[in-house]
Amino acid sequence: MSADNNDIQITEGQLRAMTSDLDGLNTEQCYPAMTAAAQSWAQDVADERRQAEPRRHFSRRSFLFGAGGAIAGGLVLATTSSSLAAAATRPMAAAKASGELTGDAAKLTGDLAIAALAASLENLAVFAYTAGLSAAKAGKLGAVPAAVPTFVTTARSQHMQHAAAWNSVLTAAGYKAVTYTDPALTPMVEKDFAAVKNIPDLLNLALTLENVAAQTYQGGADVLKSAKARAVAASIQPVEMQHAAVLYFVLGKYPGIQTASGTPLAFNPLTLAQKPTS
Amino acid sequence: MPYDDKAFAELVEQSQDMQSDAMANVARPIDELVELNFERAARGEIDMEANQRFAAAHRGAVAASLSGASALTAVGAGAVLLGLLASPALAASSPDIQMLQTAASIEKLAVNTYTTAETLPYIGGSMANSVVAKFVSVTKSQHTQHLAAFNAATARLGGAMQNTPDPTYVPVVDKAVASLKGLSADKGTLAVVGLALELENIAAETYVADVPNFTDSQARATTASIMGVEAQHVAVLRAVQALVMAGAPQLISLAPGNAAKLPAAAGDLAFPFAFYPISQAAPASQGAVK
Repeated sequence: MSADNNDIQITEGQLRAMTSDLDGLNTEQCYPAMTAAAQSWAQDVADERRQAEPRRHFSRRSFLFGAGGAIAGGLVLATTSSSLAAAATRPMAAAKASGELTGDAAKLTGDLAIAALAASLENLAVFAYTAGLSAAKAGKLGAVPAAVPTFVTTARSQHMQHAAAWNSVLTAAGYKAVTYTDPALTPMVEKDFAAVKNIPDLLNLALTLENVAAQTYQGGADVLKSAKARAVAASIQPVEMQHAAVLYFVLGKYPGIQTASGTPLAFNPLTLAQKPTS
Repeated sequence: MPYDDKAFAELVEQSQDMQSDAMANVARPIDELVELNFERAARGEIDMEANQRFAAAHRGAVAASLSGASALTAVGAGAVLLGLLASPALAASSPDIQMLQTAASIEKLAVNTYTTAETLPYIGGSMANSVVAKFVSVTKSQHTQHLAAFNAATARLGGAMQNTPDPTYVPVVDKAVASLKGLSADKGTLAVVGLALELENIAAETYVADVPNFTDSQARATTASIMGVEAQHVAVLRAVQALVMAGAPQLISLAPGNAAKLPAAAGDLAFPFAFYPISQAAPASQGAVK
């Protein structure tokens, strides 16, 4: 490999085109697998709830439509609309004020409680990336490397899709979608974000959130009772870890999970994993 | 960017120590455990028919994998697999053991591949990019630890440890390695990165596909702790591949200020999927001990 080449020999467009085939694979092969798992899981929990609450007349037909619609709609919105970003970043205070945290969310147990936790963590990541991007565009974070807005925009879009997947299960089961950010972590993130002065600060905060999400999903993949729920968690955990790998690289660190002192780890830990009771 | 050779040597030593510790944990008589597994089967404590059904069910996955575009998944593995699926040893193994053995066989192949790659001057020698060289060395160490962990989990469940590389992929890897001869450093680097990328992706997708299906909690937790690490390897290799193809290998650097030089497209080319695919996952029984 020649190390003395200082010129980029292909254009941005060509570099982008290198991933276009993967984009096609994304919609054709990845989402159907995840969607099938999420829909099937949603059907299971709706069936269970219908048995527990026979007077609530869950319609299998409308339920199935609702599950598919929620996922498909979420995915479309996640890539094309900024309104979802606003909807998905309601801070904890607003959720408390609306009674959301003492309503549906408080009733959730088992796998659905983990789904709600996961959605709230995804919302928190969306919040951080949205706020970070706004601050960067406003010139509040100093020089912004060209790769950073690209990273933030795509990572945020993927987090929105993750939140939509978890929420599709909750809504299909007759519960409200989680539109607030994780109650346990939001105060810390708001405090840390207030201290963000430059791009490395922002990326370090994002790195923490990505590792929290990845480790929470990893823990979830073990404790979730439903294999279908575990499939959803397992399809997301590696994506959060890939976000983290890029963040490590851009920050000039070894591009993989590591100890605080920088020693690479062969096994992802669970020290940052969140639990529904937190 | 030069890295701290001394610190790195210590890191490798730590990894070796970890592997030794892991292997010490499975130092109990493995043969006895395997024998116990067969005895349990003879006593009817293992559902042989269910295990055979599990293996048979994965014939479909074999076909799916063979229809993929990947060179590694397009190999003619049918005969090998049919032999495996028909073996009594396989039928005696639980689905969990089969998945763990397959995982170990993929890890063994990865260790062998990175070991070979390290001998190439443009990967592990004087011509190598220092970040790539460190990545290859660390990644090889991590796969060694994964292999030990999968084998330890297998032994705990009474299965035979798998220390043979996945037979389905070995011919393809051997052919790819042979084709490196005479290549320039740039082309050789791309060939090695491309091969490693395929192997890492197969590993990651296999574990993503397997995690929901484990019945044993510890086996599931072990695999879950590894799948994301393999996905990070994939992300790094995608970025390296793109930057080398772009004629910008100097941007594969951890030096301060390097981020400012990266093109915009470098920001997200390492993670194109919002949900990790499983289309290239190895059939769960593919690497099971015969």
